[in-house]
Amino acid sequence: MRSTALAVVALVGLVAGACGGSGDGVQSGEESGGLSATYDGVGEGGTLYVLTNSEGASTLDPQRVYTGAELGAWGSTFTRTLTSYKPVAGKDGTSLVADMATDLGTASDDLKTWSFTLRDGVTWEDGSEVTCADVAYGVSRTFGSEVTAFDGPQYAVSYLDIPEGDYDTGSAYPGPWLATEEEQALFDEAVSCDGKTITFKLAVPVADFAYTVSLLAFAPVPEAQDTADQYALKPFSNGPFKIESYEEGKELVLVRNENWNKDSDEVRSPKVDKIVWQFGLDETVIDERMLADAGDDKNAIVYGGILPENLQTVFGDDTLKDRRTDGFDGFVTYTMINVKTVSCLEVRQALWLAIDREALRTAAGGPFTGEFASSFVAPLLTTDYEPAKLVEGLNPDGTPNLEAAIAKMEEAKEKCPEVYAKATEDGLRFDHPDTDTWKKYMAIWIDSLGAAGIKIVDNPIEGSKYYATINGDQGDLMRAGWAADWANASTVIPELFGQGGGFNYHNNEEDAAFADFQAKVDEAKLETDRGAQAKLWKELNQYVIDQVWSIPGSATKAQNLVGSNVRGAYNWLPFGWYNLGDLGLAG
Amino acid sequence: MTLLSVQDLRVTFGTADGDVHAVQGVSFDVEAGETVAIVGESGSGKSVTANSLLRLNFGADVRTSGRVLLEGRDVLAMTEDEVRTVRGRDVAMIFQDPLTALNPFYTVGRQIAEAYEVHHPGTSKKVLREIALDSLQKVGIPEPSKRVDQYPHEFSGGMRQRIVIAIALVNRPKILIADEPTTALDVTVQAQILELIAAMQQENGSAVVLITHDLGVVAEITERVMVMYAGRVVEAATVLDAFATPTHPYTRGLLKSVKSLETARHERLESIPGIPPSLINLPTGCPFHPRCSHAASLGGRCSTEVPVLRKVGASSSACHLPDERLRDLLGGAHDR
Amino acid sequence: MIFFVVRRSFFAIVLLLIVSAFTFWIFSALPADPAALTCGKNCRPEVIESNRERLGYDKPLVEQYGAYMKGIFTGRTYGEEGSSIHCPAPSLGYSYDRHECVTSLIASTLPVTASIALGAFVLWMAIGVGLGTMAALKRGKWQDRVATGFSVIGVSLPTFFLGLIFIMVFVIWTGILPFPRYVGITENPFEWFMALLLPWFVLAIISAATYVRMTRNGILEVMNEEFVRLGIAKGLPRRRLIVTYVLRAALVPIVTIAGLDFAFLLGGALVTESIFNLPGLGKLTLAAVVNSDLPILVATTMVAAVFIVVANTVVDILYGFLDPRVRAK
Repeated sequence: MRSTALAVVALVGLVAGACGGSGDGVQSGEESGGLSATYDGVGEGGTLYVLTNSEGASTLDPQRVYTGAELGAWGSTFTRTLTSYKPVAGKDGTSLVADMATDLGTASDDLKTWSFTLRDGVTWEDGSEVTCADVAYGVSRTFGSEVTAFDGPQYAVSYLDIPEGDYDTGSAYPGPWLATEEEQALFDEAVSCDGKTITFKLAVPVADFAYTVSLLAFAPVPEAQDTADQYALKPFSNGPFKIESYEEGKELVLVRNENWNKDSDEVRSPKVDKIVWQFGLDETVIDERMLADAGDDKNAIVYGGILPENLQTVFGDDTLKDRRTDGFDGFVTYTMINVKTVSCLEVRQALWLAIDREALRTAAGGPFTGEFASSFVAPLLTTDYEPAKLVEGLNPDGTPNLEAAIAKMEEAKEKCPEVYAKATEDGLRFDHPDTDTWKKYMAIWIDSLGAAGIKIVDNPIEGSKYYATINGDQGDLMRAGWAADWANASTVIPELFGQGGGFNYHNNEEDAAFADFQAKVDEAKLETDRGAQAKLWKELNQYVIDQVWSIPGSATKAQNLVGSNVRGAYNWLPFGWYNLGDLGLAG
Repeated sequence: MTLLSVQDLRVTFGTADGDVHAVQGVSFDVEAGETVAIVGESGSGKSVTANSLLRLNFGADVRTSGRVLLEGRDVLAMTEDEVRTVRGRDVAMIFQDPLTALNPFYTVGRQIAEAYEVHHPGTSKKVLREIALDSLQKVGIPEPSKRVDQYPHEFSGGMRQRIVIAIALVNRPKILIADEPTTALDVTVQAQILELIAAMQQENGSAVVLITHDLGVVAEITERVMVMYAGRVVEAATVLDAFATPTHPYTRGLLKSVKSLETARHERLESIPGIPPSLINLPTGCPFHPRCSHAASLGGRCSTEVPVLRKVGASSSACHLPDERLRDLLGGAHDR
Repeated sequence: MIFFVVRRSFFAIVLLLIVSAFTFWIFSALPADPAALTCGKNCRPEVIESNRERLGYDKPLVEQYGAYMKGIFTGRTYGEEGSSIHCPAPSLGYSYDRHECVTSLIASTLPVTASIALGAFVLWMAIGVGLGTMAALKRGKWQDRVATGFSVIGVSLPTFFLGLIFIMVFVIWTGILPFPRYVGITENPFEWFMALLLPWFVLAIISAATYVRMTRNGILEVMNEEFVRLGIAKGLPRRRLIVTYVLRAALVPIVTIAGLDFAFLLGGALVTESIFNLPGLGKLTLAAVVNSDLPILVATTMVAAVFIVVANTVVDILYGFLDPRVRAK
């Protein structure tokens, strides 16, 4: 239930963003992509290009992919799942629709048994039918950590009703490659097939399991086609496109899958014949090519955003209005507070009031990098998002309110002298990944909190070990970022602040306010009425904000430019990127 | 017709520090088969004079004037192509250092053959090899058939100089210019090389222009000698006259330094006081006057007026001293 | 001569063993933990440990090295049965990051780098030696000034910058050339040529600069040699003299340096490959550095070392052929 890699991706984004100027002059604001976001004048056929600096896909293996844009990209092209998101722009894009399944599934009353029935005519790229067994086999792969290496979401492991065991995943089932007959029986018990109907038996009640199965980790894989680790290079397609060739460092070529049965798919409406990802392009070159918009580049989109130094050009030139986008990418960055060691609300409030958020954002690259977050739920999760009422006295422009901060510290001196002494004398240890950008951030933290009399002890940690390290040894303050796994704050609030939350480093269980909070979280998780559930998430978010268990940073944004022939390039909210499979070219 | 007639040769090198007046009006003749020596210290212009005969003075700014008539044709006025036909065919050259004069990348046989082939294009390989073998044998290289395919570094210094001579003589040139041919060699080898040059000259009938600072070498093989000082000929005479009755104080100085070396090792080396003049800022008048013990006796004349070459007995001398005094002072001094 | 070649080759093999062991050791000493890097999303200390075991990084370094060297000769099987992957000999490891045997990754990237290196080498030698010769022969004239000016500019231009300018001018602004997209020479020789044209010129211009200076200085130095004067005194025509005397001598040291430069380039033209998006060894290495993909890094380092060592040996032997004085020793 963890999504740290997404956070790592966001961190990389921030690092890149910090190279540029503050983006002054042109203010960042939502831009939809104008004409390019519509299907006006779209034709059939043609080759769409995706230009990227990445050397390759993080993976093509459905059970291993966990990057927002790739989940959307592979899902819309070659990996169909039981359920999917509605392929439309805006808020509706976060609503769930049936994909391979006939509907959004049937749950037992206790929400511990979920059944989905496959549609007729869903086929693989060789024309054979996608069977229930294929889905079950695909789901079982997550358990095979010697191959899938914990790369993808682990919901199958944590939700399915399989006994605990000694394997690396903590389960008694080792995945399809190593399982003995008895071990396989454990899995077959939890995931069973009856004709076209697949039934999942869960160990815990899950209200939004229909969302869970929209993750590619729950996508089918035909056992006969499985090549274990190398399946990541050429997964078998059941979508409108199939992989013609994939070479890291060079390109990924997707062509139309003749055996995709359009009648069985109400979600996808492919338009182009071919999609070519060109990997490893220099970022400067990509931007120049997109600005020049010549030849095949008219039919190109970019995976990776615009260099900070070019944002001024792109957003200062109104002739690019129809080709540029500026929107949230689904991430929220925040500073975790160790509630156990900083067990004083007034000190936590003082921290928030004193930190110069504007300076931090400037160091990151300015307003284009994001907006000051007022919720841990990203604005993209339109159903669950609502700006919270922030701590009193917080300056909306992001500058510190030193007076209010000092006043809070004075209160703290009276109420919790121990924490006050720790904050002012020993100092608060701040854990963060050791990067150049973070050196700049730390200078700001130390300066602005120092002004309020709070001492910060810098604790840089080697980047690749960051989350593993704080998992064992939490500082007083820790850097983090998060994006939802699916369009429901159930993958945000409980994960970040709830009991046993996979990304909860706050040690907030002992806080006096925790019991009430957890009770409400449990209630929300089991609430099947989506509207009522959203209301609970909003209240819980406000609760966390009030308790200042964490200080929200930025709701991060990404900017992009598409070629002038590209159509349908809207921001598909669940993934924070385009709906790749549905993109078209002006005819 | 005179084989070689050099008339008022002047060579100036332009450098960043100023013009170097290396040769300033040198004239002399060489007849067929004759051996002529040009003697002088380094910087006297003797090598520049020799190089001028084949237009081998290189540099960014070389100004040459006068005439170098080879059988009546002015070498200095020839086109590049014309000069090329003269080089190595009519006039050949032997350089000072045999260690560096041969191309290290090619066999000696090839280098000899090449010298022939350049002026006899179309000669077959077989004939060329014969010529190379023959040349090697003539200059006294033992086992020519084996040595012909060896590289220069496989030969001793003396042997290499023999090969250089073989290259120079392969076309039976009318004139052989030998620029310090023995300076870089062992004393024992020196004599052999000089003998070889003399022998080859006999055989070919070539004239030899020998450039040297070594009067001993001059005495051995030449008939006529020209002494150069600071770009000018200061004395021209037969070897006999020059040694017996030098007619220039500089020649006398040169002789004394050699003699004292040869005769008695106890005797103090009596060299010429002072140093050769800078060729950029030449002294006014006679270039030798700052070093000449007689200059004072002629009043200011030596420092204002350049002496011209004139007959003094059988020799020619460029000195302001009257004939009698020259004979007394120099010739007489020699007897003492 | 045969003895010389055998002895040099033996020495080269020993050197490669040392380099491989050193490479192994140095990468293991880096702060980045390869096991931690495989653990992005669901990272817990136990996950890292399990990855470490799975990838064999828990074994002693000597054992890892032994297994690696053995794999080169016998091939190697990675992973547990049922999901194992076999990399046939010569196995240079398996990249879990790219899901491929390193040997096949090298085999697919090396032709790209070789294509870049070969073309660039031919061009830069032609430009470098050509301009250098012209500069020397026309010393002090405008040709000399143009050539030395080119040399100064070429040396001071970063590859990145020149590459970018070339792309801007020839691809983006004028559209004379398509954006380079590497195609194998056997697949489509014309496209191969077109894709490599710009990188060849960029590398050639930058490398040629040094060779212009080297050639010019070498020629001027040789021109002062006595044997060249003897060549002139022989009456050799100028062109023949320049080719057989001056260039022949001046090029000996240049050839040896060029051999090493070429080998160095074969190890991967990092910046050029990145700018022009050519999937060669350099980009493979770069990506491996970013991902701390140890098997690839070790292999590319080894491959580069092999090129350098082999080139060194070849140059040594070649030197013997080129210079008779060396041969004798």
